[in-house]
Amino acid sequence: MVQVIAGSVISSLTLTVVENIHRMKMMKGVKVNRRSFLKMLGWGGAGTALAGCDMPTTVTLEEGKEEVVSYLSPEEYVIPGVGVWYASTCTQCDAGCGLHGRVREGRALKLEGNPDSPLNNGKSCMMGQSGVQTHYNPDRVTSPMMRKGNSLQAVSWDEAMAELGKQVSSVSGDRFAFVSGSLSGHQSVLTSELLSKVGSKNHFAYETINTSIWQAVSKDLLGDAMPVIRYDKAGVILSFGADFLATWMSPVHNAGEYAKFRQGERGVLVQVEPKMTLTGGNADLWVPAAPGTEGVLALGIANIIVSRGWNKVDVPASVKTELAQYDLNKVEKITGIQGSKIKRIASLLSERGPALVLAGESTVGQAKGYEAASAVMLLNIIMGSVGTTIEPSVSFPENALAAKQGNTSSLKAFAQGLSDSKYDVVFFYNSNPIYSAPEALGVESGLDKVKFKVALTMFPDETALKADLVLPLNSAIEDWGTHVAAYQGGSATMSLQQPLMEPLYKETKGFGDIMIALLSKLDEGYKQFPDYYAYLRTSVKNMPAELTGGALASDESFWNGLLQKGVLKTTGVTGSLTATLAVAKVGTPTDHLDQTSLTLIPSARLGLWDGRHANIPWLQEAPDQISKVVWDSWAEMHPHTAAEMNLKNGDIVKIESKSGSIETQVAITKAIHRGAISVPMGQGHKEYGRYAKQTGANSLSILDPVFDHKTGELATHATQVKVSKTRKNQILIKMGGSDVQMGRSFVRTVSADQLRRTEGGA
Amino acid sequence: MTATKKMKFMVSVFAFAVFAFVLPATSLADLPVPAHIIPPVGEHSGEHVPQPIDFPHDRHVNDMKINCMYCHTYARRSAVAGIPPTSKCMGCHKMIATDKPRIQKLTEYWEKGESPKWKKVHDVPDYVHFSHEKHIRKFVDKADFPVEDVQQVCGLCHGEVKAMTVAEKVKPLNMGFCVRCHEANDGPGDCWKCHK
Repeated sequence: MVQVIAGSVISSLTLTVVENIHRMKMMKGVKVNRRSFLKMLGWGGAGTALAGCDMPTTVTLEEGKEEVVSYLSPEEYVIPGVGVWYASTCTQCDAGCGLHGRVREGRALKLEGNPDSPLNNGKSCMMGQSGVQTHYNPDRVTSPMMRKGNSLQAVSWDEAMAELGKQVSSVSGDRFAFVSGSLSGHQSVLTSELLSKVGSKNHFAYETINTSIWQAVSKDLLGDAMPVIRYDKAGVILSFGADFLATWMSPVHNAGEYAKFRQGERGVLVQVEPKMTLTGGNADLWVPAAPGTEGVLALGIANIIVSRGWNKVDVPASVKTELAQYDLNKVEKITGIQGSKIKRIASLLSERGPALVLAGESTVGQAKGYEAASAVMLLNIIMGSVGTTIEPSVSFPENALAAKQGNTSSLKAFAQGLSDSKYDVVFFYNSNPIYSAPEALGVESGLDKVKFKVALTMFPDETALKADLVLPLNSAIEDWGTHVAAYQGGSATMSLQQPLMEPLYKETKGFGDIMIALLSKLDEGYKQFPDYYAYLRTSVKNMPAELTGGALASDESFWNGLLQKGVLKTTGVTGSLTATLAVAKVGTPTDHLDQTSLTLIPSARLGLWDGRHANIPWLQEAPDQISKVVWDSWAEMHPHTAAEMNLKNGDIVKIESKSGSIETQVAITKAIHRGAISVPMGQGHKEYGRYAKQTGANSLSILDPVFDHKTGELATHATQVKVSKTRKNQILIKMGGSDVQMGRSFVRTVSADQLRRTEGGA
Repeated sequence: MTATKKMKFMVSVFAFAVFAFVLPATSLADLPVPAHIIPPVGEHSGEHVPQPIDFPHDRHVNDMKINCMYCHTYARRSAVAGIPPTSKCMGCHKMIATDKPRIQKLTEYWEKGESPKWKKVHDVPDYVHFSHEKHIRKFVDKADFPVEDVQQVCGLCHGEVKAMTVAEKVKPLNMGFCVRCHEANDGPGDCWKCHK
């Protein structure tokens, strides 16, 4: 028992019990059943509690072993043991939510949403919450590294910056490229400055999870790329694969608006998608149309609406005639959705309006994704959503600070440039294309042709380890910045990112600090700024009155106010909407009719995102929101498909596309179309630290290089795969254990019809 | 009950008896005990912990009559009492006793912009949430106990600091010590009050 006290009570209690069980198992003929296990547990626990109270205190209590250092000269409000909250901005995805960070004794301990941010109104998501684990991650790069021979070796900042300056000032403009994620605020300004000083136009903002096609269609059909989506004004939302509660546009903001949509007179949500997303799980009606046929379904619904005269906006006869070819039988056959269900969706749109129809990744991630999104937009136009649930955009008045949104057409362009040997110097910031680009694009081998690759990164990811120079960055919690989110739901706000604590490591620097140091080598004008803070401070001082809402930006109190609130709310520029009515020539995939292949869905999740959060243990161990699988990768398959192939949960399958293959375990679920197989994106890192490395399989890597023909966006849902059984099997780790109640009525249910009859529901 | 189990049980009972009834008789603090508190019971013979500066509590408390909470100002505001910031020491010692070697050492720290690295003497494990603030509120503020005599309350757990130079641990500060005092003084008895 003394042993128990000596260690941490909980862990050694468990240890003792485990030891005992092990010992008992060793004894021949003694079986440990549930009852004896519990008995042992009881005895162990009781013994510890009784004897523990008065035992000498030896648990971390050695007198004089730990140090306690007082403040030298603290601020008035600093009290050891009491947290102080500072405002900052989340950088875990590009939605740009405002944060509050709790700091105690100089350490950032907890992140929450900033109530002053009109984007997230004090709320935050699991990725935002786990920002502390990005910051305290043990695998951060802690010193600059340069390639010497075949290996990266630690060098001083002086040496690194001298080499960087030499490379950047000698490279010819068109042979310099800058690859980043979405960028905004003053970081974007500095990046543009660097590119213009070098004389390059090659900025590739690359994000796997984006809404580019929706924006392109909005721009072409509504005359406004980023209209404000009023979930709260809608009575019915029909979403074609737009996972707006988890990955689409601005999830935390959307979730708040969605809550308003469900309050009061409860709005109806219908979700059409081949694999259930978090939004699909919340829907009243989940419709798994055959992958790639969503555009046809949208036009089929439009046909019902106009033929019954339910449209709220006049539809010309020519459009009606074009729509007429999408008759119910044909649509039913192509999409695999019952005609009655399609009619029901059409009548819901008409009866429960105002309607709002959205298009997301599973619908637009096709070779004819633009057309599919156009078909969806047509529904908005004929249902009169434009101007009611879809309002004109409100954009930030200062263009230079506005968001440069990432997309995948830039990845395509960059990969093309690599294969044409176009670049000598390439910068990577917030971007890891070696991991996230499909292997068929040849980014990894193409990078061999680039003479000098620079990675500005916090972690030794796949791209950084291939670089010639790695510059370690401060975490978001240690760095300055300004962020102007691309989608703000009607507000025009700049969010300030301020350091919550001193950098953990001496040799890391802020992104802005590095840019200022580099720009000083190219332009004398930047020498006046010792660091990024000085630059930011001067920029804010010089802000024009139309940005500050009349406040004097040069005033010290303006800056202090910005630090306190974390947001600068200004009057945005309102766009205008003009609806163009046209029937898109939607495609239907021919491949999926091939019975032997399945459509691969590399599903995006709130959590690991595009793989950038695979090194966060909290997110790794959070179960999938729909399948409840924990850890590792898995391939979701419909029970019928699995049965046809004689597969059970945990069987390892080989998933083979034209471009490559991966192996992972099967997770059988009804929340997927029979013709699809879904492997969530984010796992399968070859590098990226201890928590991410060698875990699971990377479904992005085997995507075929198919692109939307109009926008050049990667068609993420257009890869057909052959699935074959291997002899291997592992235990599928899953929360909840079973999807069914095994005949026991834990959860009582009643059908809607019965409820109507017996409870008099409407 | 098997013989060994019986044995273990008896030992626990005996140990409890020793701590609960025998020890109190041997420990009589010199500090007056506030009338509204039933003092916690238990003694501990702490080691002498060498500190970077041999801070004389006795000089400050006994001779100069400085209140505990003048320096440990966070005790009434936070879970931790806190070591006073070096600026607070220098507030007096810019002028006072500047010829003494200990003060000269302190001044050296101050001029270098560093705080001395003190060694922790009183501590509870990480899974115990102890709050100074709550105890001061109950036993001083709410009890209308004169703040100038607060060392009588502090002394219940920290002993007679006014007789020490650097602090020494003289109370066990273990769970039995806490729980018996909580029981005697109507403190909270829920596990999660401390283990949260």
